[in-house]
Amino acid sequence: MTADFVSRLPNDLGGAEAGPVARVDHELAPWEKRCHALADVLDFKKIINTEEKRKGVEALGADLIAKLPYYERWIVAFANILFAKGLLTPTELAGKMAEVEARTAAE
Amino acid sequence: MSDHDHPHDAITADAKPGYYEIMETAIRELLIGKGLISANDIRRQIEVLDSRSPALGARVVARAWTDSAFRERLLADGRAACEELGITFYDDTDLIVLENTATVHNLIVCTLCSCYPRPVLGLPPDWYKLKPYRARAVSEPRKVLAEFGTVIPDDVEIRVSDSTAVIRYLVLPRRPEGTEGWSEDELAAIVTRDAMIGVVPVTVNAGAVS
Amino acid sequence: MARSVLDDIIPALNEVAAFALGDPVRVATRAPIGHYRVPVYLRGCRGKIVRVIEPVMIDNEEEGYGRNAGNKRHYYRVAFAMTELWPGYSGPVNDALEIEIFETWLERADV
Repeated sequence: MTADFVSRLPNDLGGAEAGPVARVDHELAPWEKRCHALADVLDFKKIINTEEKRKGVEALGADLIAKLPYYERWIVAFANILFAKGLLTPTELAGKMAEVEARTAAE
Repeated sequence: MSDHDHPHDAITADAKPGYYEIMETAIRELLIGKGLISANDIRRQIEVLDSRSPALGARVVARAWTDSAFRERLLADGRAACEELGITFYDDTDLIVLENTATVHNLIVCTLCSCYPRPVLGLPPDWYKLKPYRARAVSEPRKVLAEFGTVIPDDVEIRVSDSTAVIRYLVLPRRPEGTEGWSEDELAAIVTRDAMIGVVPVTVNAGAVS
Repeated sequence: MARSVLDDIIPALNEVAAFALGDPVRVATRAPIGHYRVPVYLRGCRGKIVRVIEPVMIDNEEEGYGRNAGNKRHYYRVAFAMTELWPGYSGPVNDALEIEIFETWLERADV
């Protein structure tokens, strides 16, 4: 049914077929923890509330959700939401990323 | 949606930041530059996150085991009772505490994302956020529990709570036999994160909180 | 006891809970696109109200579109038998699932 393409969200997993639970975990990298703190701060200030973040992750689609790890999904969702709200532009972000990359390469 | 674990690059002191880390830094610096957030907001929230761990939940459980009036208040209003112990709810969530008994075993999951009682347990483990647990905990909880080595008798009800809103859950595990007369500190030391998610019981020979 | 001004307060629209503890309910069968917080596996299933969540809150499905204030209603904690949710459920009939559902997703069900 093609309706399922849009009426079942990619993150709605309850009851889906899946393998055994592997008890995996990892210590958060510093940037992952910063990303989590950023999410909380954006929610506290209602710049991006928690539900907008969840919707932003769903909007990445099943393919990206499967391929990208957790905090990578969050940061891409934040970028898209900030663009949509007119708080950042894609050009600004690309420019800033180039600057950060050059700066850290020089360190 | 995948069953596999996402790769995580090894963390080394001199590793160059990856693409998504650069994106995080760029977004944060741009938002700070525009005055929408401050560097101090982020620093402060990292400190808040670092102050939360399963040791807090373990204190709540140990208090409930040793103070029946507190236990009553905890079951009536989980958030208010945790706040009594000084545990603040920075993320504005509410908390329902689910008591395991001789007839009911509780298990918590978030099928839609990764809702978790962060103020009292810290951040969730990876397996809690990955597909196998989220997909199967609601449809075949006994099989999932068995994968954690937990076998619940058929005459005990399994009660799964699926968190989809602003309400979060904490399982109040059963106090193990052989702990009569133990101090609150001794009890807290055997209460594990996984027991407060509901995937394992508390046992007397458990090590430090994991 | 003397009458108080509090006796004359009339609740605002949707401020009074539509369902009460023990009420049999059914989850709506609708299938929205865009964003939702009621998992597909619950649609059309029958359950029972086990807790009325106070106070009223914003619908988190609307929060997903940036709505941070405005009209509020109740969430309800609803209990479902596993055998109601999963036709082939192999565990004991007492096994159950509980979840909070926003008022607009619930319909009154026959006992």
